[in-house]
Amino acid sequence: MRPLSLKPLLALVVGVAAVAVFTGLPAILPPFYIRVLQVFFFSAGLALSWGLLGGFAGYWSFGHTAFIGIGGFTAALVSSHLLGGGGTGWGMVVTVGAGGLVAALFALVLAYPLLRLRGIYFAIAMLGVGEVFSELSSSIDWIGGGLGLTLPAGTDLDIAPEVFYYYVFLVLMVAILLISAATKLSRFGYGLMSIREDEDTARMLGVPTERYKIQAFVLSAFLVGTLGAVYAYSLGYFSTPSLFRVDFSLNMIVHNMIGGIGTIAGPVIGAAIMVFLTNVVLGSFLSVHLLLTGALVVLIVLLAPTGLLGLAARLWQRDPPEEEPTSPTRERERRLTNEPAE
Amino acid sequence: MVALQTLIDGLILGGVFSLAAVGFSLIFGVLGIVNLTHGIFVVAGAYIALLLWSGLGLDPLVGIPVIMVVLFATGYVYQRTIIQWATERATVVASLLVTFGVALVMRNILQLIFSSDIRSISPSYSFVSFSLGDLRIDAVRVAGLTTSLVLLTVLTLFLSRTSFGRMIRATAQQPLAAGLSGINVPHVYGLTFALGAAFAGASGAVIGIVAPFSPATEAIWTLNAFVVVVLGGVGSPAGALLGGLLLGVINTMTAQYIGPSFTNATMFLVLVLMLLVRPQGLMGNAFGESR
Amino acid sequence: MAITRRQVLRTTGSGLIAAAAARYLPAGSAHAQAGAKTLVFGGSIPMSGASAETGQNVLFGYRAAIKKINEDLGGVKIGNETYKLDVKMFDDASDPSRATTLIQRQVDEGINYFLGSFGSNIVLPSCAITERARRPMVQAGAGSDLVFTQKRKYVFGVFPRASLQFETSADFLKSLTPAVKRVAFIYTNDAFSKFQAEGGKKALEDKGMSVADMIQLPAQVSDVSTVLSSIRANPPDVLICCVHDDAAILIARQMVSTGTNVNLLYQTLGPQTEAYRQALGNYANGVVTQAYWSEGAAFKGSYFGTAKDFADYYRKNFDRPLTYHMASGAACILAYVEAMKNAGSIAPEDVRDALAKLDFKCFYGHIRFTADGDGDPKLLGPLIVQNQSGKVEVVFPEEAAAAKAVYPVPSWKDRA
Repeated sequence: MRPLSLKPLLALVVGVAAVAVFTGLPAILPPFYIRVLQVFFFSAGLALSWGLLGGFAGYWSFGHTAFIGIGGFTAALVSSHLLGGGGTGWGMVVTVGAGGLVAALFALVLAYPLLRLRGIYFAIAMLGVGEVFSELSSSIDWIGGGLGLTLPAGTDLDIAPEVFYYYVFLVLMVAILLISAATKLSRFGYGLMSIREDEDTARMLGVPTERYKIQAFVLSAFLVGTLGAVYAYSLGYFSTPSLFRVDFSLNMIVHNMIGGIGTIAGPVIGAAIMVFLTNVVLGSFLSVHLLLTGALVVLIVLLAPTGLLGLAARLWQRDPPEEEPTSPTRERERRLTNEPAE
Repeated sequence: MVALQTLIDGLILGGVFSLAAVGFSLIFGVLGIVNLTHGIFVVAGAYIALLLWSGLGLDPLVGIPVIMVVLFATGYVYQRTIIQWATERATVVASLLVTFGVALVMRNILQLIFSSDIRSISPSYSFVSFSLGDLRIDAVRVAGLTTSLVLLTVLTLFLSRTSFGRMIRATAQQPLAAGLSGINVPHVYGLTFALGAAFAGASGAVIGIVAPFSPATEAIWTLNAFVVVVLGGVGSPAGALLGGLLLGVINTMTAQYIGPSFTNATMFLVLVLMLLVRPQGLMGNAFGESR
Repeated sequence: MAITRRQVLRTTGSGLIAAAAARYLPAGSAHAQAGAKTLVFGGSIPMSGASAETGQNVLFGYRAAIKKINEDLGGVKIGNETYKLDVKMFDDASDPSRATTLIQRQVDEGINYFLGSFGSNIVLPSCAITERARRPMVQAGAGSDLVFTQKRKYVFGVFPRASLQFETSADFLKSLTPAVKRVAFIYTNDAFSKFQAEGGKKALEDKGMSVADMIQLPAQVSDVSTVLSSIRANPPDVLICCVHDDAAILIARQMVSTGTNVNLLYQTLGPQTEAYRQALGNYANGVVTQAYWSEGAAFKGSYFGTAKDFADYYRKNFDRPLTYHMASGAACILAYVEAMKNAGSIAPEDVRDALAKLDFKCFYGHIRFTADGDGDPKLLGPLIVQNQSGKVEVVFPEEAAAAKAVYPVPSWKDRA
């Protein structure tokens, strides 16, 4: 620990510069790339939100797509039932906020029973939760996921929709990035990481593990629900399979693992790489893009098992940056699968 | 009568679920790996059965040994290479990501070879049914159930009676101690994985004769395996059987008494509730020390 | 099927990709020859999932029409210029995010004419983009009402919207003797099937038939034994299934193997496909479905000649078994080409206006769109066809019928 670290300052400068660049980009980029970046912001936001619970506290959720769905459906139901089909401009703030809040509310109800499960059992339970909400959303006629729901345009300003959602997702991602960074540096964050390393010891040492886990889960769900609501807006019309997608859940994990689990920059880097590859590089393929995407995922795990940040740290061989996932994580992950310690 | 018919339908359906999940359960129990390639093994088994049937006129159920051999070899090589590399370099959990990646690759390859058109296998008995009083039972599903029971019994005997079975159990309980006692642990891991793949493939042959399939159906079979394992417990054929039968009955009972569109919802609801109440499954972990 | 990492990278990777590249990649310039300008049609299809088989069928229809026009007719003359045609499709993986992003790429790349994907949750977000860019989309995939009832100007469908697809069917059922009294619907929980079933219920009730049951299945069906028990307990005269191909096969097979008999099984999707006939063999006989085209139909016009000529041309050049979806795909291309000729222009706005006014006859039938853009239900509505002794026969409407409908159909046992 150096007394006066330059890293936060550097991160701030890079961050501000990046935001400035991204703010200006729509003026010069063609719409396709604006949409690719929009997908990137969305995915990075999801991956960061997942990381609050999965990365920091080590509770891997396989079913976070549930909150995307809850957010999106809530927004559309609020729009059609309470706002008479409205929900443009400030109305969108209301519906999207409602989406996030209802997702958080569901998470709060689910948190206590679910978070007693550890490791792979929590992961599978969340997978189940995702499927339950997915099926219910399409089977219950009142919700209407079978026929699908529509949302109005998000804004009546004279601005192309892709540019509008570009900025909305950009703002959300930056906000989530700041929330993640603040969490990581806070007492709360250290508490979560202590849970990841050894939950029982943490509790013995006085970390309110129960409360911290629930808070992280609810916060994560709120952010994902908010993103989901905006995503639903960006589609305009959606049905159950638009929002409840197992690949959303898996991508959140993939993006974290590719960048580096438990880090701030990792999920963003992971999302950037995967979104660029799947949409730009492999975009026009008619039938081999799954194969290439899959091969790439395998390759990355084999070549950079601690994520690209971990790989970078090893390659440079300098003092490992504090963001590198450390060995206790591996310890924790081994416990996840019930493997006896060596 | 309706209740009885529903129960029988459920049990028959469940037999297929059991066989389709036992490989997943074994691999999860012994290696601790959540194998997302599982559904691929199942669907690959179905395609091999289709090839044998259309090419050589071999009945899918008769072709099961061939399918099992092919998938056994595939599973062994797969575990000893990609999965072992992943667990060595990264973590057991990283293997999850690897199997996800491989599943994508394999699904795409199946699509390129067989196209994404829907296939099914219709041997002569696929359309036969018999009646017991008012009950109606279709032969093809009974054949599927019988095959499942036979194979699960074989697997049980294999695990409990053979020295190789003992090695698997020992490795599952204490890999380090097993290694010290002279067991080649990586080899046993490889063989266990291969066994899991072989049984998944065998279930594919059964599924091929009862339901249409395409490369994309693999995801359903992976999901079903999750539910079966959680219901029944990890690692044992008996657990898989119990979990599978329960899942089948839940499925048909929901369809009968709540509504056919809620079957999947109930199935996963039971999964979540089961985890909350008894996470180790009804039969517990076959390999000692439950959590 | 063993894959090691190296194989994935080398053998599978390079070998398969190279092989696949030749066959499956959207070969952008393959047809473009020096001297001739090329008109490119863009869009997406799903390569896996419920609609994959139909998607492939429609794609082969596009290819057939393009091959015919480029190779046999030497391209198409619009204004004073002769053009070749090409189609550039990507896989949307049934993911709306991927579909919209990549549709935008095609819009940016200057593709001016679009062909549709499948499933309204893909098509609606995609056509929002093409609509905004003022590029027409003619599609044979999404029939949900929402595609046509939201005042879009640039979206056309060669089928009537889902809720209007049952008019002919209702007339058909009405025409049967003994009179059809009770009908049951089974439908899956997706927008297309649901719209279709609800539209069907209304159409039947308007004609005085009673709909006994509306049985909703989950979008992914793995077993229908319970549903069939309840059908056996109280069998309707006619069972109508509004489900996709895979569920249609599952339901039919389970009906046979449990001996669930009804006077008539009517499945809107499924029986057209080769997979269905392979799965059911002789049991496919008697099953009724709708077809938007039949090779025995008396339609004819320029480009392909008669319906029969199209079938012959297709079979000569392609291996994939012919279904009406190929014809629908080809009809999308012909509609575009004809509209361009009428407009004497290839500007997307002009093509759009010409499409809206289009009124022409070809092997597929009489192509005309309603003011909302969907196919005119009177002209482009479905034919009712029945599998009879291994052949697909048109049984309704009477003026197009080549055979009389078999009703009630023999029990499954007698069909083996």
